[in-house]
Amino acid sequence: MADTLKTDPPPKALVAGADGSAALSVGDRGARKHGNIWDAFLPNRILSPATMQVIVWTEVALALLLWIRSPFKVLPRPIEVLHALQGLWLTQGLGPELMTSVRLNLEALAWSSVISLGLAYLTVVPVFRPLVAAVSKGRFLSIVGFTFVFTLIFGGGHPLKTSLLVFAITVFYVTSMAAVIAAIPKGEFDHARTLRMSEWRTVWEVVILGTADRAFEVLRQNAAMGWMMLTMVEGIVRSEGGVGSMLLGESKHFLLPEVFAIQVVILVVGLLQDFLIGLARRLACPYADLALERK
Amino acid sequence: MINGVTYSDTLLKLSGVNKSLGGEPILRNVDWEIKDLHRPGFTQGQVVGLLGPSGVGKTTLFRLLAGLDQPDSGTILVEKEGIPVQRGTVGVVAQDYPLFAHRTVLGNLQVAGRQGGLGGTELRDRAQSLLTRFGMTDHGAKYPAQLSGGQRQRVAIAQQFMCGEHFLLMDEPFSGLDMLASQRVSSFIQEMAQSDELKTFILVTHDIAAALQVADSVVLLGRDRDAAGNAIPGARIQASYNLVERDLCWRDGITTTPEFLKLLQEIREIFPRL
Repeated sequence: MADTLKTDPPPKALVAGADGSAALSVGDRGARKHGNIWDAFLPNRILSPATMQVIVWTEVALALLLWIRSPFKVLPRPIEVLHALQGLWLTQGLGPELMTSVRLNLEALAWSSVISLGLAYLTVVPVFRPLVAAVSKGRFLSIVGFTFVFTLIFGGGHPLKTSLLVFAITVFYVTSMAAVIAAIPKGEFDHARTLRMSEWRTVWEVVILGTADRAFEVLRQNAAMGWMMLTMVEGIVRSEGGVGSMLLGESKHFLLPEVFAIQVVILVVGLLQDFLIGLARRLACPYADLALERK
Repeated sequence: MINGVTYSDTLLKLSGVNKSLGGEPILRNVDWEIKDLHRPGFTQGQVVGLLGPSGVGKTTLFRLLAGLDQPDSGTILVEKEGIPVQRGTVGVVAQDYPLFAHRTVLGNLQVAGRQGGLGGTELRDRAQSLLTRFGMTDHGAKYPAQLSGGQRQRVAIAQQFMCGEHFLLMDEPFSGLDMLASQRVSSFIQEMAQSDELKTFILVTHDIAAALQVADSVVLLGRDRDAAGNAIPGARIQASYNLVERDLCWRDGITTTPEFLKLLQEIREIFPRL
């Protein structure tokens, strides 16, 4: 007599991936894209790229319209900002100033990444946890108060600007990364241990490699914060110039079209930085977004 | 002895194992022994079901058997040589089928193989051979997030096979599965056990029917009761059923036989009192 439990294979939809297809293609709402514009007003809808493009350009147009029609007459209009940008770029050396800022930002980002990741990974060793907690508390301090101390330690000018920016980024970066590591489920450590991994090998596999995608995301957020704080640091230490120094100069003379033009440049460079880190994340960690609804 | 089955060396032996958590006894004097099973004419590993209701201490015992925690007292010895269990001595497949999300399926197998001492061509060949054996040949380049639950389970088992342990502990392998999926898992476990003389699967579960369907022996973990019927803290092995001796394994249609249904009913009646 046939075993009653050994029935025919289940229909495709019942067991995702049973037929060799990707599991995500079954019942994955993320894969079902909607083209109807009204879906944009409903929760948890995934829109088709074309519909999304329409929404983005409509919102950009609305923002521009709002800007042009602004009741605040003192605010410069887009065309004035464009002319100011042209003048800043061609006659006032915005390009070289921007390069100075970008170089400073990259240098600070590199230092703070090394320090923050190092400190965050060291939280696996209990003796370092108080140190990391103390660094993390630095978020509540003002970098202005460190100017004198850092001048004594690192000297003025470029080293001072770099150290101030590294400090400003690190206190946030290390906090976020330490939180990522603290949130690793116990099961992931146990899994590595059951594969005979030593504790240091477990740290490498679970803590360092296992959080690489999230480390990129933390870097991305903190790089954005760093770029924002850079103008402040360049305002505190004006040697070498930079867009921050330039922004303060224009602002002091109430040259609003120039101020807006520099802000636009800062925004564009910030977006580019964000895009590049995101691209690096996607290339280095292609697995990171596979299970997300909105990819 | 039915089917000429004989038992020889002790493969797993728990003696007087005690474990408390937060001052509360969870396991009390657990004694348990699994012996090596031989079935003439067959390559036959074995499947042992460790049954108990939720909250009785199965997970605590699972972690001790896996070497992830140490007992407060007592010993857990594995293999014929009686080696004290440590992390990595026993293969473990946890309930959520953990895999390294940052590695592909093939990468997951290879990293486990390296831990098992394999390298070079031998590592690649063993990983490929397991992918083929587990029906995952086309999925080697995929990441765990791209696999279904069933596929993840197979890869998680294959990963433990790469390390080469003779024991494989599985925590609630039937949890959250519908009847068909549960049947697939049972068939797969039986197939794996029957393909390797040295493999012993220990299934830690509360699913009585599924365990009886796939195991060749089951033990019940539960607490003793005092005269008033109150549970005494600390679970131990309360009963053991040899399904080979009862001729309730390794044949088709077993689940519909009166003997199987009677045993199922018997254990179901005991369960609430464990």
